Amino acid sequence: MKSLQIAASGMAAQQTRVDVISNNIANMSTTAYRPRVAEFSDLMYQQYQTPGTITSQVGTVVPAGIQIGTGVRPSTVSMQITQGALRQTDGELDVAIDGAGFLELTLPSGEAAYTRDGKLNRSPEGELVTMDGYPLADGIVIPDDAQRISISRDGEVVAYFSDSIEGQPIGTISLVRFVNEKGLEALGDNMFRETEAAGSANRLVPGTEGVGFLRQGFIEDSGVDVVKEISDLIEAQRGYELNSKVITASDEMMSATTRMR
Amino acid sequence: MSSTINTSLGRQQGLMKEMQVVANNLANSSTTGYKSDRALFTEYLVSPGPSEDSISMGVLGGHAFKLEQGEMKFTGGQFDVAVQGEGFFVLQTPQGPRLTRAGHFQLSSESTLIDGFGNALLGAGGNPITIPQEASQVTIGGDGSISANGQLIDRVGVVKAQGELERDTNTFFAAPGGYAPFEEATVVQGALEQSNVSPVLEVARMIEVQRAYEAGQAMMERDDDRISKLITSLRER
Repeated sequence: MKSLQIAASGMAAQQTRVDVISNNIANMSTTAYRPRVAEFSDLMYQQYQTPGTITSQVGTVVPAGIQIGTGVRPSTVSMQITQGALRQTDGELDVAIDGAGFLELTLPSGEAAYTRDGKLNRSPEGELVTMDGYPLADGIVIPDDAQRISISRDGEVVAYFSDSIEGQPIGTISLVRFVNEKGLEALGDNMFRETEAAGSANRLVPGTEGVGFLRQGFIEDSGVDVVKEISDLIEAQRGYELNSKVITASDEMMSATTRMR
Repeated sequence: MSSTINTSLGRQQGLMKEMQVVANNLANSSTTGYKSDRALFTEYLVSPGPSEDSISMGVLGGHAFKLEQGEMKFTGGQFDVAVQGEGFFVLQTPQGPRLTRAGHFQLSSESTLIDGFGNALLGAGGNPITIPQEASQVTIGGDGSISANGQLIDRVGVVKAQGELERDTNTFFAAPGGYAPFEEATVVQGALEQSNVSPVLEVARMIEVQRAYEAGQAMMERDDDRISKLITSLRER
């Protein structure tokens, strides 16, 4: 009785969908979070009668062969490349990326990581770091006596001091672009790692070659559309129930068989 | 065995397979580009002997899939495309070209358009489509033309199969009879074609299958009773 396993694969697929949706909803307030979507594909087909063996009669179009499917499996859980809404925070070191691109960070292991979460801070040494303390790969150090910091749209960081009207440039924030952003590996903590599928990191000046601009005083909200997630959740739940009905029906058919002497 | 039992046994086996078809449809009710399946039963006549009437038996004779278009779901994805009306996308798989209606594509690390399994999407010229790396906005027009930053790059190939389609895994179809370009196709960017499984129809079909199976079972039980009664009454003589 294959229908039991087929329905079980359907239930597992809907369960995966609910897992993905619940993670999206849980991250509805996460800075610069990008929603994920689970995609499915059908499993192989069992050939009871190879197509081409039976010919149809004149005038009737009966596709030849008997192929019976064996269920479903999740094929990809891909990241949706959407721009979250930009929220004004007025934070001096808050930068949002308006468009494509990532900020490059250096992990304690020396490895590079990428993020769109531009809620930056100053480390005890004056370095520009993320909320988790990982420094920007651009290595920008803010002087102790700097009164005000300005970050321009194209990434130039300028420090202003009390003794001069003229600002002093202290570095540039660059953005990194990947050919296939969906291929990045999520590390958690809003960070991603480069992979073979994503292509190599392309370091660019903000606002050039398709990367976005930087906006000081803004952060990017989560890209999760809650209404869409809830309607998907309802769909997934009903799909799960439908598959469980198949299990019940198959079970009843089997019990009809066993009732026979 | 009596012909009653034989006839219902044949039907029962067919119903079991049909249940699998229904289960597979329902399991794929969220699969992008999936086309629902239908089991077809055919009758064949068996003649038990020269002087006896022939018996008609129902067996699973064929298999058809409904190519009706599924609902469009707007995702807004740049490389999510759906074919409106007839036509298929062509993918270059290791097993040869495969047709599909599932248009969930992404860029490979070489900047070509690929599906979720890494198979390249073929353009109208039959070659993989390469998107320039510096392209910030890629637009796919209604006729499948792909443009990046205002420049035409390529065209998404949409084809029509010649002859019968054969099902393959991953919502792919093989076209043993070949395929020909379909110029009048309409392509929609930012949308995915949902599975065309109708849950209502499938559940109704499932109930029908289950009840028919039980009816067959009851029929066999009756016939079993009949034979055992016959044996008992013969023995009593």
